Amino acid sequence: MTEPIKIIPFSGANKYILDEELAAIVNISMALEMPLLLKGEPGTGKTMLAHAIAEALGMPLVVLNVKSSMKLVEALYQYDTLTRLNDSRFSDSDRDVSDIEAYIKMGKIGQSFTADERTVLLIDEIDKADTDFQDDMLDVLDQMEFDIIEIDKTISARHRPVIVITSNAKKDLSDPFLGRCNFHHIAFPDPKMMRRIIKVHFPEIDTALMENAVDTFYRMRDLDAVEKRPATRELINWIRALKFDPDFKPKQLTKGDIPYLGVLFKKSEDYQKVAATVQRRRLL
Amino acid sequence: MFIDFFYKLKEAGIPVSPTSFLTFHKALSMGLIGSLNDFYTASRSILIKSERYFDLFDQVFAHYFEGAEMPEPDGMVLDEMARVLLESWLKNPRILADALGMDASELNKLSPEELIEYFKARLKDQTGEHHGGSRWIGTGGKSPVGHSGFHPGGMRVGGESRNKSAVKVAMDRRYKDYSLSGPLTRPMVGEALKRLRHMIPTGPKDQVNVDATIYQTMKNGGEIEIVFDRSLKDRLKVILAIDNGGWSMDPYIQVVQTLFDYARDQFKELKTYFFHNTIYDVLWNDTARYKKPQRVDEFVRLDPDTRMVIVGDASMAPYELMATDGSIHLEERSGQPSIERLRFIADTFPYSVWLNPVPERMWNFTQSINAIRRIFPMFELSIDGLEKAVGHMMAK
Repeated sequence: MTEPIKIIPFSGANKYILDEELAAIVNISMALEMPLLLKGEPGTGKTMLAHAIAEALGMPLVVLNVKSSMKLVEALYQYDTLTRLNDSRFSDSDRDVSDIEAYIKMGKIGQSFTADERTVLLIDEIDKADTDFQDDMLDVLDQMEFDIIEIDKTISARHRPVIVITSNAKKDLSDPFLGRCNFHHIAFPDPKMMRRIIKVHFPEIDTALMENAVDTFYRMRDLDAVEKRPATRELINWIRALKFDPDFKPKQLTKGDIPYLGVLFKKSEDYQKVAATVQRRRLL
Repeated sequence: MFIDFFYKLKEAGIPVSPTSFLTFHKALSMGLIGSLNDFYTASRSILIKSERYFDLFDQVFAHYFEGAEMPEPDGMVLDEMARVLLESWLKNPRILADALGMDASELNKLSPEELIEYFKARLKDQTGEHHGGSRWIGTGGKSPVGHSGFHPGGMRVGGESRNKSAVKVAMDRRYKDYSLSGPLTRPMVGEALKRLRHMIPTGPKDQVNVDATIYQTMKNGGEIEIVFDRSLKDRLKVILAIDNGGWSMDPYIQVVQTLFDYARDQFKELKTYFFHNTIYDVLWNDTARYKKPQRVDEFVRLDPDTRMVIVGDASMAPYELMATDGSIHLEERSGQPSIERLRFIADTFPYSVWLNPVPERMWNFTQSINAIRRIFPMFELSIDGLEKAVGHMMAK
């Protein structure tokens, strides 16, 4: 079914900073041919990892964005009954109505199985779907094949995709599902890591700006009573905003003058609370 | 190989499966693991399936490979306290020094290890005093007083994780926050409540019903007729009644708040009411329990499928529950004992539960809890309890 896997050590891509631990886990999962399940706070780069793997290994990336009402079949294939009905009535297309296969379209998982080369399959936010979805997917990922019921045909993976699954919720997925995955929890990056991440995104950033911004960012993250704490994405956007403003001087931040709070805090209550704290204390 | 290690993990209460252990051996035999670091990373990602067990895993790992002490519960609490103390010390040494009756400059000379030892010794001396979670310890980590930017001895806590040996990383216990016993967080509540839904067709007819379409088309002799359906939407009605009065509920406000916040986003039809200790003739729409009363009798007009969730510690003097005119509020004079009203609610809404923030093992000690348990199915306000409660409310 699959050719012997070449182990291509994965060591990070252009825009993605990888810690050694995670790199080791990715490599092990690839070698063991097991899906890698990633959990962690929003903004810790779960989704980005799959993009980075695809980029680093030069494989096409297939993304399955899981939605709450999704059935597994939709991710595998779709049987376009309506078009077939239409064709059988008006027979003005060049498809052969008696050939059901002409009306089968591959879903995301199907695409990654039938692709000509090995792909990276990202199953994003699997916890959104019902547990049924996960359970149904077990067999597919285990056997690397699925049946198209309408034409009684089994689709096997031509190349076993590298599978990355992400989950936001703190709750466990079902046990049998977990048993088939390798698991990693991505912690929020520490300031040192964050500086490296920023360097990657803004190669010629001014050191004072970066130091002050990161410093201020972590202190604001630590504020109590903030419900949605800003993540990496917010920090990067914020720095982009700061850089864009010609009047802004990095020194302002140390004095407690923090512009563009709205980029960091997206909930109005959070924004007001933080703005008030900053106003009052001027210590941030 | 490493079978002991596997059993040590099992003994520690981590659910590790033999299959994953075999997978781990496959990794070993493939030569993927060349160092203790690799061993740590690989064994954790293969064997451990939830971040909640990372902390425990770290401890077992350190124990197995370095002979680190397996922590005793008491020691762990002390460790934790000492760590919190150290943190607040780093934020503002003077406050802590004052609290301990020490001179800041004297503490300043100690190395971090000595500091920790010192704190532990102090805590051991004072266990009597600090057992109740004396406030400055409980809130030590988030002292509202600004930090002074002053680091004794130039030490850092945490951070710097890249080049540490695996054992050292394990001994750091980075995953402590995710341990099972942690407080109820929003995502956890969300996950538990997710199954609480009642799907009924609503909205525009925008989904093609293939079977009906084919049927109709055949009936029309091949003339295509496409049949549309409404999509299924969640239309569950939920009433949340929260005990927000009195000091007895104070410790649980955070938990209840989380539950309440989540419920507000989650359910389209959510009514929230408040009461104090138990329910008499009225529930209140406003938190002050003063302006907007809602008569309990009027609940009969509501859909009996409504899910009624009552949150309260159910702890009160027995007469408040049993006596007519038992309310401690003078203006609530009803002529019916509260227990009758509770029965009435339970009869009106067959799908009702009582969530109690008091740990289940304490329930037997309170008379009123036992009385109420006989009326409402009572569940602990924890992740487990919530899930059981949801299971109960969704049972057909």
